[in-house]
Amino acid sequence: MESYLSAGGKSAFQKIIKKFASIKMAVVIIALLSILTAIGTFVEAKYDATAARKLVFESLWMFAILGLLSASLIAVMVDRWPWKKHHSAFVCAHIGILALLLGSLITWMYGLDGSVRVGIGETNRFVTVPQTDIIVYTSFDGNQFTKIFEREVDFFREPPRDNPFVVPGDQVKIKIVDYKPYVLSQNKVIEETNPRWGSAVRFQVSNARVNVIEWLAQRSPTSLVTHDFGPAKIHLGSAPLVGLGQNEIYLFPFKDKKNQWKIKYSLFGKKSIDPEKEGIIEEGGSFPTGWMGLEVKVLRFYPMAREEWDVKVRETPTPLTTEAVQVDFSGKKQWLLLNDTMKVFSENAVYYVSYANRRVDMGFPIQLREFIVDRYEGTMRAAAYKSHVIVPEVGEVEISMNEPLYNKGLTVYQSSFQDGPDGRPIASVFSVNYDPGRWLKYLGSLVMVIGIILLFYFRKRMSAKKLTS
Amino acid sequence: MKALFILSFSFIFSTQVLALTLPDGEALRALPVQADGRIKPYDTFAREMLEIVYGKGSFEGRKPHEVILTWMLSPAAWENKELFEVRNHEVLKALNLNPERKRFKGQEVFANDRFTLLRQELQEKRETKEKLTPYFQALQRLENQYFVFTEMATGRLMKVMPVAESKNWKSVAELDGEAQKDFLEMSGKFITYIAAMAESKPANEVSEKARALDLAVKKFQETARSHNPAAYAENSKIETEIHYNLFHPFRWAYSLYILAACVILLLWVLKKDSWMKWAWMMVAAGFLLHTYGFALRVYLTGRPPVSNMYETVVWVAWGAVVFSAVLEFVYKFKIILLAGSLAGFIGMVIADTAPVILDPSLQPLEPVLRSNYWLIVHVMTITISYAAFLLAFILGDIGLIYYLRGEQAYKDKIKEIVLAIYRAKQIGVIFLAPGIILGGIWADYSWGRFWGWDPKETWALIALLGYIAVLHGRLIGWIKDFGMVVSGIMTFSLVVMAWYGVNFVLGAGLHSYGFGAGGVEYVSGFIAAHFLAIVYVVVVRRTRVKT
Repeated sequence: MESYLSAGGKSAFQKIIKKFASIKMAVVIIALLSILTAIGTFVEAKYDATAARKLVFESLWMFAILGLLSASLIAVMVDRWPWKKHHSAFVCAHIGILALLLGSLITWMYGLDGSVRVGIGETNRFVTVPQTDIIVYTSFDGNQFTKIFEREVDFFREPPRDNPFVVPGDQVKIKIVDYKPYVLSQNKVIEETNPRWGSAVRFQVSNARVNVIEWLAQRSPTSLVTHDFGPAKIHLGSAPLVGLGQNEIYLFPFKDKKNQWKIKYSLFGKKSIDPEKEGIIEEGGSFPTGWMGLEVKVLRFYPMAREEWDVKVRETPTPLTTEAVQVDFSGKKQWLLLNDTMKVFSENAVYYVSYANRRVDMGFPIQLREFIVDRYEGTMRAAAYKSHVIVPEVGEVEISMNEPLYNKGLTVYQSSFQDGPDGRPIASVFSVNYDPGRWLKYLGSLVMVIGIILLFYFRKRMSAKKLTS
Repeated sequence: MKALFILSFSFIFSTQVLALTLPDGEALRALPVQADGRIKPYDTFAREMLEIVYGKGSFEGRKPHEVILTWMLSPAAWENKELFEVRNHEVLKALNLNPERKRFKGQEVFANDRFTLLRQELQEKRETKEKLTPYFQALQRLENQYFVFTEMATGRLMKVMPVAESKNWKSVAELDGEAQKDFLEMSGKFITYIAAMAESKPANEVSEKARALDLAVKKFQETARSHNPAAYAENSKIETEIHYNLFHPFRWAYSLYILAACVILLLWVLKKDSWMKWAWMMVAAGFLLHTYGFALRVYLTGRPPVSNMYETVVWVAWGAVVFSAVLEFVYKFKIILLAGSLAGFIGMVIADTAPVILDPSLQPLEPVLRSNYWLIVHVMTITISYAAFLLAFILGDIGLIYYLRGEQAYKDKIKEIVLAIYRAKQIGVIFLAPGIILGGIWADYSWGRFWGWDPKETWALIALLGYIAVLHGRLIGWIKDFGMVVSGIMTFSLVVMAWYGVNFVLGAGLHSYGFGAGGVEYVSGFIAAHFLAIVYVVVVRRTRVKT
């Protein structure tokens, strides 16, 4: 086989090498690479980094062009064989680029790049990575669950719209029939007549600076739902006998003697455990709280209502959009958001369907003991932030911007943080990274830079020679 | 003659540089104010606030430090002044205002019922967290103007006194006791001084009032300092900043650059080669002042000034002058220094005349950009490569002119220009390629990602690929002299995209007010005009060859 190739194909091989080694080819490849990556940046500007990655930077086109580039870089070096001293410049530059590309390929294939969110005082050992899985669990008695299906899916690249994704199994009639990359989930409150539903209230809390308008909806007439807007909490449900020493408002729907629905409100403050103020209002009514000039108004009141959620599909992403898949179970279609779970019932079993980012065990837990934000003086602008974490076998360490933690081959970087409703941070977000191609990328960079320097060194000597001769 | 030049130069320098002591009645300008996360002189604060509200650095010939305080002392006097700049036509239409005008009275804009509705519209848009379109950015500016004026009028915006227990200084409205008394005293003196000037009182009376004001300012400063001496501003930094504001080193620099360029042009016309040393001296003087201004910014912010568009423009202009001087020193073509001084002039004028687009204020850094060695190194390396490409671009422009005037007649000049362009491109590549790699090292060091196809790094790479393609093309003789001239201009559009386009076109709305939007029509017009010029020259050459 080998001899056949070398005997019959020698000139053909050399022809191919010549073709790839031509500068014409190189310029064409460089132009193609520039155009493709430029398109990628426009895709990123219109959509997001994920879309740019999947549509352009990690597409077949990109791999093809980078493959051609590598072929051309190698061909030039083969073509100039045996190398002379003055070839060292371009050989270095080309080997450097090849090493860089190989390093990137290794990172892409075997690397890990995910994020870990840890609440203050909490512990987490799982990295969330971009890959997504469909997982189905089942239970016959409602207590014990068994995983019956798990598979990696990439609906962005292979939309299930024309080719539904079917979970195998005769009994399991679960199909994924649609996928939308950018949806907003919206809550809707619908008035009901069945008394098994709880009440719902749309309220407004406002003063000159604050203006909060929200729905509160009970699942059942006896449940309590809460909205926390920082300076105070507002609840829908029955008020306790004593307060907790916080600013709290309770709205309690009830039927008066004439069988009319009314709302009883009770205000608890910081000074006393007894209610500061109580009264009765109807839809459209309002009362002052006495705190910071805040006034509460009941905009809408449904004595019986149910909350439903729906997805609103958008063309382009915003920081609030997420992905969603449409699940078809025995002909009934429902939306399932990314990193959410759906419960469906068949005649004799219950299934949980999950569409979620994969979570990978880091091999060690991270406990967040403290999170510190330094602000620029007199403002709320963050100047720096750092996490004090506890890791077994390492002890307590500080992770801050540009000062990551290295442990068991992984690097843990401080990435961002999450603010709670009162504007204080509640969780730290780390990015976790394993990069087996790193050394090749650094080596490649070094060799390439040496090559560029040599290039100008030899060019200068050559032009000096030309001048003298 | 040389002595005369040095004498006049040192005269300018000494009167301006050493005039750290403010004239009578202006001690107020050095009053420390806490704003935007740092302590700045009232002078800077006032200018920034006036620019936000009015869009200019002075109001009807009056300086910002005189204007801003009267918003607080007599807001009613401003009711009938056209103070608020609104330029966006959509916003003007939404407010039912005359689109022919640019500036409006507070009542016309904010007492308008439509303003409340627009604020709600803006708030709803913000809650969706979508990118703000130019219309919403304009609304955001309007809201900011409203905020700045009303907060200034109520005394809440201007924070003038440090406190012992917190990092937040007290605003004028929060002052009490002695500090309040001293501030009122100072305000009273300010009003009598302003009134005396407005009524054109005799000079001695005005200067007496001015000195009284200065004393009152000093007294207030002493009281304020006594509350937390450690947190109060260092005098030296405040004085340096005032000096920086008054002296405008960059304005001197570009004036000298254009003078140098004129001298070079003149010496060609008049065939006086000996004048070249004058050109050299002017470039050197401009460059010294340019560097001096740069050093002042480093001292004031405590970091190398390459973290926003304005600062990189200043840095690139600086680099273009350096590279041109080096190449000129080696080749002595004269034309290289001409291109360099033009690059310095153009860069600095753009930086100086577009404060709304290129924000010249000294801003604190985002957390990820702070105290990072690699960040500074890679940004400075990449942007300095843009300087070499800018030089190649301007040389390309000059080359086009020669091609238009006659290829044969100016054969030698063209050869010189082409060699200079080639060298400038090489210098650019030598800095850009390692710069991109240093950027990768920074990203790896900070985020664990060597390369992430981020638009900024991708466009830097595209620019590099563009220049590498050109240099390879030159190597095999595809690109001849005319091609080198044309590519010097055309490839620079990739740099413009990487440098300006990524932040201002692709990332529109990602950056908050005052930085990140605007000027797109001018920049794309500039690029388009150059492409048209190239097409024109190509056509002219073709017809010449045929005839």
